[in-house]
Amino acid sequence: MSDFLRSYLTVGIFLGVAVVLVSALLGLSSLLRPSKPTPQKSIVYESGVDPVGTGWAQSQIRYYIFALLFVVFDVEAVFIFPWATRLEAYGLFGLIEMGIFIFILFLSLVYAWRKGVLRWV
Amino acid sequence: MFIAQTLPTVTSSWYLSLAALLFAIGAVGLLVRRNPLVMFMCVELMLNAVNLTFVAFARSMGDLGGQALVFFVMVVAAAEVVVGLAIMVALLRRRPDATTADDVAALRG
Amino acid sequence: MIATLLAQVSSTFEPPTLDFHALAPEITFAACVALLYLVDMIKLEDGRRLMPGLSGLALLAPLIPIMTLALDGADRTLFGGAFVVDNVALLLKAMFFLSGYVVVLLSTNHLAEGDFWESEYYLMLTSSLLGMVVMSSARDLVTIFVALELLSIPAYLMATWEKRSLRSNEAGLKYYLMGVFASALMLYGMSLLFGISGSTLLTDIGARIAEGNSSTPIVSLAIVLVIVGFAFKVSAVPFHSWAPDTYEGAPTPVTAFLAVASKAAGFVALLQLAFVGFAGRTDVVEPLMWVLAAASMTVGNLIALRQTNIVRMLAYSGIAQAGFILAPFAVMSDSATESLTAVVTYLVIYAAMNLGAFVIVIAVARKTQSGEISSFGGLFGYAPGLTVAMTVFLASLAGIPPLGGWFAKFVVFKALATAGTPWGYSLAVVMAVNSVVAFYYYALVLKAMWFDEAPYGDTSPVRVPVSLISATGLTAGATILFGVFPGLLGHFTGSLEGIIAVLPGG
Repeated sequence: MSDFLRSYLTVGIFLGVAVVLVSALLGLSSLLRPSKPTPQKSIVYESGVDPVGTGWAQSQIRYYIFALLFVVFDVEAVFIFPWATRLEAYGLFGLIEMGIFIFILFLSLVYAWRKGVLRWV
Repeated sequence: MFIAQTLPTVTSSWYLSLAALLFAIGAVGLLVRRNPLVMFMCVELMLNAVNLTFVAFARSMGDLGGQALVFFVMVVAAAEVVVGLAIMVALLRRRPDATTADDVAALRG
Repeated sequence: MIATLLAQVSSTFEPPTLDFHALAPEITFAACVALLYLVDMIKLEDGRRLMPGLSGLALLAPLIPIMTLALDGADRTLFGGAFVVDNVALLLKAMFFLSGYVVVLLSTNHLAEGDFWESEYYLMLTSSLLGMVVMSSARDLVTIFVALELLSIPAYLMATWEKRSLRSNEAGLKYYLMGVFASALMLYGMSLLFGISGSTLLTDIGARIAEGNSSTPIVSLAIVLVIVGFAFKVSAVPFHSWAPDTYEGAPTPVTAFLAVASKAAGFVALLQLAFVGFAGRTDVVEPLMWVLAAASMTVGNLIALRQTNIVRMLAYSGIAQAGFILAPFAVMSDSATESLTAVVTYLVIYAAMNLGAFVIVIAVARKTQSGEISSFGGLFGYAPGLTVAMTVFLASLAGIPPLGGWFAKFVVFKALATAGTPWGYSLAVVMAVNSVVAFYYYALVLKAMWFDEAPYGDTSPVRVPVSLISATGLTAGATILFGVFPGLLGHFTGSLEGIIAVLPGG
């Protein structure tokens, strides 16, 4: 067995112990406890309030708009990281290029702000 | 580093097979499922399979072109998803009950 | 991980030398688009009246650098071969800008009178056109991919532009789902191509594929996936199912844009990929293209025969026309120059005549509020000008001399015949039969316009705004001009050595 697999052996033993322990405890308690199912017990627990409606509930639309805006700007950062690691090598040229890139991103953020997307109505 | 030394058997073909599998799951899911949101997820799965393929090839050839392409795919996929979700939100405001793509059938298909 | 990978790049980074003249059309246009955003940002709702004019100017301004580049005439290669500016690219760019201009003319009144967001529409339109213009020069997988997405993503939104109409929403959703599925297929094909050749440059991929020592099934799979991805974009049968629904549901100016500019951009990408990237493996490309072309012509025409809605009819006729444009690809190894010329010529003429047909549909629908073919009844009685223009466009689409569409069909036939192979001849026969079938449904519209009675006896004149008159003039002029003086396009498509050079024996 290689070192690599041996180091995973610990994980394996840990996993086994966890499974045995949980199943033993739950099995023991299910043997001991009385079982009296009522409809009241089987409904979904929602902080003590009775659940209403189906899983396809509608949420406030403004959450979506913020989330969508976040996703776009969040992912753009992926272009900045590689540039940042090699900042010196790319020198002034890279700085200007990244400046243009960030300026355009900034422009779109200002655009979203001017269009009232960032307002929490 | 550690993994690369002790398990040399994981070659790029493993990654490529995994990517092909993911791509197939995504493609089949897109064609079979009718919930638009699930269809989006399947597209994401396909795009991630593409990313995995690019990275695996780029790594095995020591070429950076593939890695760079992955960045573009990621960013473009995010933009695509945002637009798709925006279309979905607009659609569900018209038809809150439309949870499958077939419910939306004002046009002859 | 990224840091270690980037460390592999040699530490001496050389900034690329930029040929600003070659990039001038894109830079000018991108700057204009940014200015449009700024105007919208500053003026907000007050800027609505400015936007059509400004975006029209933004679309015409880049024609100046295109003209200086055309006069200069030299082919320019930038970024190590990823971006090529040659005569074909310039012609296509000019076509995209002018089609965009016509779409702006089409949209102005439609948007102002309906329940639409206006300023944002022009921003989406110009952004999408920027992607198309870049696509004309792209010779690299990354550039092609980014250009494709830049032109598609705004187009998805434009299809949904009638926000409160369920039909428009559905059109957008269908277009979106099909579009992203297609781009995922295409990307997977691209990733395999990258794995085979170790490069994203089309010339490198072409060279590596032609060597023939890489695994054949993988190469074939990659080529098929990429072509199928673009077959969705150009709505070739059997990947056309989204097109009629999207065209019918989307606002009509957007339909015109999708049917002409977006489709043309898909063909431009196919052109670069097939003639530069896959030229070494025509044994895979040609049969696939043969099937796609024959199926698109036949199925498109047969379904078009049964349509009663003119936009759906034009959608299916567009599918058939896509089949005609795909036909030269099926003989690209035997008559490379002719095929390439045929595709480019057909694209330019198709843009003019199909946009023209949509102009008239929009003009007539302003009065009749209907998209049915029967609503064209008796049009000659109360709108003779529109009737004559529509006759020109439909006759051109049907391929009647001396109009542009006739010349376009002629060059495709010439390419198929020059190949001199059974494949070429058989496709020419399929195409000839289909041209006759197509004539029938175009003639139905002509008959309604010239001979039928107006529905409900309503013969009040159609009010045609100036923008639509100028759009009609532009497209009709181009349609007739290309038919009467076919040599005009030859000036640009004549010198194709740059793109042909990579073909084996070309």
